[in-house]
Amino acid sequence: MLNSLFPAGGKKHIHPESGQALQLRNLTVRFNGLTVLEDLSLRVERGLRVAVVGPNGAGKSTLFNVLAGLLQPSSGEVRVHGHLPAQYLCLAYVPQSSLMDWDFPVSVRDVVMMGRVGLIGLLRWPGRSDQRQVERSLERVQLSDLANRQISQISGGQRQRMLIARALAQEADLLLLDEPLAGLDIPSQEQILSILADLKQQGITVLVATHDLELAGDHFDRILLLNRKLIAYGTRSEVLTVENLGLAYGGHMQVVDTKQGPIWIGDIGGHHGHDVEGRHG
Amino acid sequence: MDTTWRDAMVSWLTAPLAYEFMQRGLLVAMLVGIVCAVVGCYVVLRGMAFLGDALSHAILPGLAVGYLASAGNSTSLFWWALGAAVLSSVSISALSRGGRIKQDTAIGIVFAGMFALGIALISTIRSYAVDLSHFLFGNILGVTTEDVYLTAVVSLVVLLIIFAFYKEFTLLSFDPQLATTLRLPDRPLEILLSVLTAVAIVVSLQAVGVALVVAMLVTPAATASLLTKNLRRMMLLAAAIAAGSAVVGLYASYYFNVASGAAIVLACTAVFIAVWMGQQVRSSLRGRN
Repeated sequence: MLNSLFPAGGKKHIHPESGQALQLRNLTVRFNGLTVLEDLSLRVERGLRVAVVGPNGAGKSTLFNVLAGLLQPSSGEVRVHGHLPAQYLCLAYVPQSSLMDWDFPVSVRDVVMMGRVGLIGLLRWPGRSDQRQVERSLERVQLSDLANRQISQISGGQRQRMLIARALAQEADLLLLDEPLAGLDIPSQEQILSILADLKQQGITVLVATHDLELAGDHFDRILLLNRKLIAYGTRSEVLTVENLGLAYGGHMQVVDTKQGPIWIGDIGGHHGHDVEGRHG
Repeated sequence: MDTTWRDAMVSWLTAPLAYEFMQRGLLVAMLVGIVCAVVGCYVVLRGMAFLGDALSHAILPGLAVGYLASAGNSTSLFWWALGAAVLSSVSISALSRGGRIKQDTAIGIVFAGMFALGIALISTIRSYAVDLSHFLFGNILGVTTEDVYLTAVVSLVVLLIIFAFYKEFTLLSFDPQLATTLRLPDRPLEILLSVLTAVAIVVSLQAVGVALVVAMLVTPAATASLLTKNLRRMMLLAAAIAAGSAVVGLYASYYFNVASGAAIVLACTAVFIAVWMGQQVRSSLRGRN
């Protein structure tokens, strides 16, 4: 009876087989008269890895919040696999891990199981198939041996992998990762990038917000360059042009001509304000 | 000599149990201790101790009206008090929802307003003021058989609901954003959890009173959180600490003639201090190595 009162509980969503993962039409978001996202129109094919880049305050987190159904757009249309965001179940949003309470008394396995709470449904306890799914998800991010650890006892990279495992346990086919690589050492970053490559094999669409343009160019199928408006969306060579980057980063970006071609140097923001360079050929 | 010592001990422990009011008091104190401790784990983890304190004070007008309406029938007092608590928690969430008033401000406004209303009502019915003072400081030894049944049924219902929604409540406390993206009914669950907190508070009134009930919610759960990083174990430990403190407190109140509610809370506080000090010493020893 409770399940009919709360229709979302325990309902398995039918995953669509093909087509567009994301469709945005004239998406606009305003807060207190301030326009955060303006007139975004975009189609993202299923199964792509998309890096969402742009300066601080470009609206990356706002975009993710809208896609996850946490925030209502002021105007425009959003479809996730053809559905309204708030109706779509197979979407996982992994927020910046710095925002979570890591002292909470749960283990790595407990957190991954949380991804299945919606599928298990109200008034039911996890069954054997849920446990199997959780173990498989832990395996895929290579965290099986740390499954019983309390979550304060694992490293930043392991936390990020745990949150990806949670998304896998959720059987999500669209992942939104907000700055998953920030503050991680190179091996941890590479581990996560290889997991993302693995997800691509299974037709899972991944959107990753990042500050790192070089990484975005090297490891992603598409780049979405954002600064309140959509500056460009496409492959690396289509998006990372002097004009586009100038539009996105404005005064924060400098183009220096060298013998090897132009190099962009900019304060891309982030907490360290590190320089990022790339080549335009 | 050994046997006389043991006999003395046994009679020291059993003497209070010769009185039926002590048996009833012990039973009720342990039950509400357990319920408050389990609900309190969520209160502590969500950092909502202030809301718990506010709810316990906000039920005073419900008690006053209930007293006027039913001349002190404890079942009807229970429902009036619960009504006041639910009304307060709903108004707090309605006031703070738009974001124009912060939640702790909303809590302060509702809590003080309701408490003042309760005091105003009580002051107009001066003849009942003595009985109502029991609700401020508890009157565990005045528990009737009917109260025992009511407490037992209510406690069982609260524990069953927590058990049934354990995974949802835990998820909601750890990551409310995930609850939304999993399309859980987060708002109804949120309200259910605060109603359960209100019920735990109301059912504890006779044991410890309005003024001290927040200690039953917070102290055993906080003690347990120092001892384990596993939520299920934390709930069990908190319940054990609360039940043990109820027994110790009631015996202290019997032998040393201390107010029973205060004695129970002091027992909880003593356990907390012991655990906290123990951990301070341990971590400073570890730091030295």
